[in-house]
Amino acid sequence: MIGTFKEIIEAAEKKGTRKRVVVPWASRENMRILGKASELNFTVPLLIGKGREVEMLVKSTPLASLDHEIIDEKDSGRALFKAIQMIRENQADILMQGDMDHQMFIDSVLDGEKGLLSAKLASFVSVFQLFKRDKLILITDTYLNNYPSLVEKQLILENALKLARILGISSPKVASLAAIEQVNPAIPSTLDAAVLAKMAERRQFGDVTIEGPLDIDCAVSEKAAARKGVSSIVTGNVDIYLTPDIETGYSLAQLLVFIGKMQMAGILLGTSKPVILDLPFVSNENKLAEIALAALI
Amino acid sequence: MIRTLDDITRLAKEKGPKKLAVLAPEDGEFMEAVKKSQQMGYIEPVLIGNQEMMQRVADEVEFDISNVEKIFEADRQAIANLGTAMLFAGDVDMSSKGQIPTSFIYRSIIKEESKAGTGRTISVITLWEIPELDHFMAFTDTGANIYPDYKAKVAVLKNAIFLFHVLGYASPRISVLSGQREIGGTLASYEDGRSLQKAAASGELGECEIIEATSFFEFFVGKGRQLADYEEIDIKKLPEILLVPSLDTGNILCKLDFFLNVKRRSLVMTSKGPVLIPSRADFCDSIMGEIAMGVVVADRIKGVV
Repeated sequence: MIGTFKEIIEAAEKKGTRKRVVVPWASRENMRILGKASELNFTVPLLIGKGREVEMLVKSTPLASLDHEIIDEKDSGRALFKAIQMIRENQADILMQGDMDHQMFIDSVLDGEKGLLSAKLASFVSVFQLFKRDKLILITDTYLNNYPSLVEKQLILENALKLARILGISSPKVASLAAIEQVNPAIPSTLDAAVLAKMAERRQFGDVTIEGPLDIDCAVSEKAAARKGVSSIVTGNVDIYLTPDIETGYSLAQLLVFIGKMQMAGILLGTSKPVILDLPFVSNENKLAEIALAALI
Repeated sequence: MIRTLDDITRLAKEKGPKKLAVLAPEDGEFMEAVKKSQQMGYIEPVLIGNQEMMQRVADEVEFDISNVEKIFEADRQAIANLGTAMLFAGDVDMSSKGQIPTSFIYRSIIKEESKAGTGRTISVITLWEIPELDHFMAFTDTGANIYPDYKAKVAVLKNAIFLFHVLGYASPRISVLSGQREIGGTLASYEDGRSLQKAAASGELGECEIIEATSFFEFFVGKGRQLADYEEIDIKKLPEILLVPSLDTGNILCKLDFFLNVKRRSLVMTSKGPVLIPSRADFCDSIMGEIAMGVVVADRIKGVV
């Protein structure tokens, strides 16, 4: 089981295959991180952008002396289109968002006909490294879906379970979060959480335990859960936190980053090949973990 | 201005004892907190609840309640009504939830506020003490409104602003928290935030400032920028009040004290004084801290209303 970001990077190194990362409109920072990944020998960057400008940028980073390819394209929209095309035609293994409009990037990547969507729904997972022990936790959805329905939550969870498997988490334990741990028909998140828990109990997700609804104190603390009469193998040992909506997911991930100072790396799931978004609250150092994570998928 | 829980503890000792109506103290951790708070000189408790159960729990934690004022009542709603009526009549300075559903207490408060004609909405304010931050940060509403609409948000904010004024913050800075980001269209929580900002600027909410930022990322880094390194995070940039879009968000964020190095204190501000609503999972120390907070708020509220 992979328990730290360092181990994610080591696992990508050990895999020994250099993944082709295609980046439309790469920034200098993108190139610096890609340089690190190349040095560790798990990627080769394919940079699509204005040829001369890209060359100049590359020269100012360690990438200059490492394998890379530059594909000339004057327009950022066409660069993105080309990058997606390369993934679809198996000329590249990972798509990384360069310096471009977020909505345009997402819309193109998830386009039903010309994009990369392979699951019924795409979703975003934040991977956090715990302080007290070597363990990774997954929180989803923290970026992509606004107010997922029950069906969508099921798909979001299935995407996250695939990632958990890749990280070697066996028999994952899931907390389906809500405001309270009791089922209250006036609070829709508690109903969705209860249904998901029931589905898991009927083995509809395979070897997975889902507890829900769980409030955050029951989820993170076995002692708190015991005080509320909740007894489960999930409490105090959660692998995947499923958030009720984006209002919670987006704030939760950021609170853990900015107040908790917890390291976070994210990945888009539900696409035919891994896609790395350029989230502004992922630190430069953790962007390397994102590339490594993508290389493992 | 009261900035830390140490300030609160010191002031609670100084300004106590305050009269606290304790609604159904029928759990060990909770009764222990009442006992210790009395010993510390914070409170003079009035225990309201089932005679047998209160006595049993008191014996459990070796709390001699023979000289403590007691009102015997078994019906849960009647307990809530009694304690809340005492608060509004000025017979006690504050009240606290014991082993009783929160909704029962809300119902009593709504009834009393309506009788008093204050027009106040119930909301829960959860304060965090964060190391290295030189002021409290609060989440609200973390307990009452499931999906507050604009009107409810105005009322929720007014309660929180009132609390911060009571704590000595002349013009608290507020952020209307939202999942609004680079993608996903415009969220209702964001639109409400813009409207609230206008309302605050026009003075409708009292002395306060609603800032532009609607996310932690925007507090610390700012739109259009990129977090390079965790070293650049300056915790002092946190505002005083975070208005959350829903009960789910509020409750999930505010109880992260079980996970992070922060301390949490929650209370409901009524027009007549604080009502403490400890979480059922809270332990003695946390409940005691909440009682101390209540004492200080109850003391200072007298000078404001």
